[in-house]
Amino acid sequence: MGKTIIEKIMAKAVGKSEVSPGEYVQFSASRIDHPFILTGTDMSERFGKWKSQDWTLFDPSKIIFAPEHCGSYTRVGSTTTNRENHRRNSNWLKQLGVADENILELGRIGNCHHLAVEKALALPGSVYFSAMTDGHAITVGGVGCFGSCMSASAPAFLRTGWTWFRVPESIKFNITGKLQDGVMGRDVYEYILGQIGPTGAIYQVMEFTGPVMDSMSMDGRQSMCCLAMFTGAKTGIVNPSQGIIDFFKARTKVHFEPQYSDKDAKYIKTYNYDGSKIEPQVVVPPDRHLVHNIKDVEGTPVTNAFLGSCASGRDEDLRMAARILKGRKVHPKVLFNITPGSTDSMSRVDKEGVISTLLDAGCFICAPGCGMCPGFYTPLAKNEVCITSSTTNLPGRMGDESAQVYLGSAATVAASAIEGKITDPRKYL
Amino acid sequence: MALKFKGNVWVFGDNLDVDYEIVPFRKFDAGLIKLEDVGNWCMANVDPDFAKKVKKGDIMVAGTNMGCGHDHFQANLAIKQCGIACVIAESFDRNFFRNSIAVGLPIVELKGINEFAKAGNELEVDLHAGTINNLTTGKALKFTPFPDFLQEILEVGGMDPYADKLVAAGKVKK
Repeated sequence: MGKTIIEKIMAKAVGKSEVSPGEYVQFSASRIDHPFILTGTDMSERFGKWKSQDWTLFDPSKIIFAPEHCGSYTRVGSTTTNRENHRRNSNWLKQLGVADENILELGRIGNCHHLAVEKALALPGSVYFSAMTDGHAITVGGVGCFGSCMSASAPAFLRTGWTWFRVPESIKFNITGKLQDGVMGRDVYEYILGQIGPTGAIYQVMEFTGPVMDSMSMDGRQSMCCLAMFTGAKTGIVNPSQGIIDFFKARTKVHFEPQYSDKDAKYIKTYNYDGSKIEPQVVVPPDRHLVHNIKDVEGTPVTNAFLGSCASGRDEDLRMAARILKGRKVHPKVLFNITPGSTDSMSRVDKEGVISTLLDAGCFICAPGCGMCPGFYTPLAKNEVCITSSTTNLPGRMGDESAQVYLGSAATVAASAIEGKITDPRKYL
Repeated sequence: MALKFKGNVWVFGDNLDVDYEIVPFRKFDAGLIKLEDVGNWCMANVDPDFAKKVKKGDIMVAGTNMGCGHDHFQANLAIKQCGIACVIAESFDRNFFRNSIAVGLPIVELKGINEFAKAGNELEVDLHAGTINNLTTGKALKFTPFPDFLQEILEVGGMDPYADKLVAAGKVKK
C-alpha cells in the first residue's frame, strides 16, 4: 500500500519503516541533526511560569530564537515593552547555551514562518517545530515539510527533545487547469474553504496536488498551507518541486531527503476543482469562513490596506503589488501598510526595484515581521475598514473590535488600495 | 491519578472556540484573567455560572471540532482547573487535542457520544480499559485507549511533570 507524503515524513522522523493514520508515534529530536526549532518573544509571556524553573535545554544548537511577533514593537495595552521581553528571553537562552548566532536580532529577522524557510530550518521531507504558541508553523507544508506548533508542550519539548504525534488522515485536493492572471494561491485556498467549510478537514491533512500546484511558486504554496487550519486541518502540504529543492540546496549544506506521495497512496477523500474557473476570493467579516467571489463585494469602501503576515508578504506578493501599483498611486484616503515577511525577501525584491515602486506609489513600508496581522505598527482604529492578505478577520484581531476586516490576495489588496474600495485586480493586469 | 472517573455530565455543542466559548481571549490578553484562576472563567460566554455549578470530577461532553481556533492552552487549563475530570467529544481540534495532553486534561474522542450521554447523566469513564458506562441509562460504550506513553503523561498530570520525570531518570539523550 502506498503512503502519502505526510505519512512518509512522519515515519522517517520517528525512525519507523512506515506509519498509518490514527497511530500515535514518539519523536526524539536526537534524530534531527540541524537547527529545526524556532522560538520567539512569545515565550516569556506564555511560559513565564516554566521559565523560572531550573532548566536545561536538550540541545541548544537546534534552537533558533527570533523576535518576531512582538520583538521589535510595543503592543498597545501591554505592561512591559516587547523589547524588554526580547532582551530577557535572549539573555536567558544565552545562559542555557544557545549560541549568539542562533539568537536573531532586528535587521536579520522577519515573520518566524518566513524565517523557517529562509534560514533553512524547515527542509523538504523533514520536520519543523515552533516552540511557542503559533499554529501557522504549518506554513512550511508549502515546501514539503511537516511543521507543527508545540504550544503548551513547548517547555517540555525544549527540555527533553521528546514529543508525540498522532498520524493524520489525508485529503487530496486535485486542482486542474491553469490559474488566471491575478488569481493567486491564496484565492485557491479560500475557494476550497468556501467549498468544504470550516470543519471540512478536522485533524486531517490537506494535500494540494494537480497541474495548478505543479506550476505554483513556493510562495503561493506557503500561503495556501499557512491557512489550512481554517478548515480544521492539522496541516496543508504540497509535494516539493525541483525549484524548491534547488532553493534549499543553495541555502544549506545539511543533507535532506524530500518525500513525495506514492501514486497508490490512500486518501480518505479526493476533491477535484478546475483552477481555471477560480475567481479572486474575498473573505468578509466577521467570520473566517464567509468566502465570496470578488464580484459580490466589489466596491466596498476601504480605509486601510495591509500586505504581509505568514500568509503573504513573500517575494511573489511584493512583486505582484509593485506590478499593479507601478506608475499609479495609493488612493489619497487609504493607508496601505506593506510589511515584507523577511529581511531576505525585502532585500531580494529591492534589487528588482520593487520597494521603490511601492514607496513611489505612496505605500507605508514597515520593517519585516508580522505587521498589522496581530495589530502591530498601524493597528486599525475604530470603524476603519481594511482589506488584507493576512491570516484572519476575527473582530479585534488587527486593532479595534469595531473595525471591519476583509481578506484577499496580495493582488486584490493592491488593486483595492488604488481605488479605495474592494477591486478586482485583473483589471490592472 | 488513576485514569478512572465517575461524574455528572455537562453537555456543550459543536465548534467551541478556545478564545470565545471556552475562555474569553480578549479579557485574557488584556491581563484581566490570570492563568492561576482561569478556571473561574471556564465557559463564561456560554453559561456565566458554569464554573460555580460544576463539581470536581464532573465530565464535559462536547460535539464536533471541540476546542477549535488558535492554539491557546489557557482553554484546556480552564477546563481542568474548574474541576472537569475528563472531556469527551465527537471530534477535537488538533491544537486542543495536543494541548489537553500537554496540560494533563484527560480526553476521549468518541463518535456517538452526543447520543449516548445527556446532561445530568452519571458516567463512569475508564481511560485505561477504554470503557464508558452510563450509570443513568445502563448503556455502555467502548473506545480504543491511548497508548501507554500518553496514558502515563495524563497520569502524572501533563507534559511538564512528565518532562521532570524524563530528566530525573536521565532519559534525555542528545
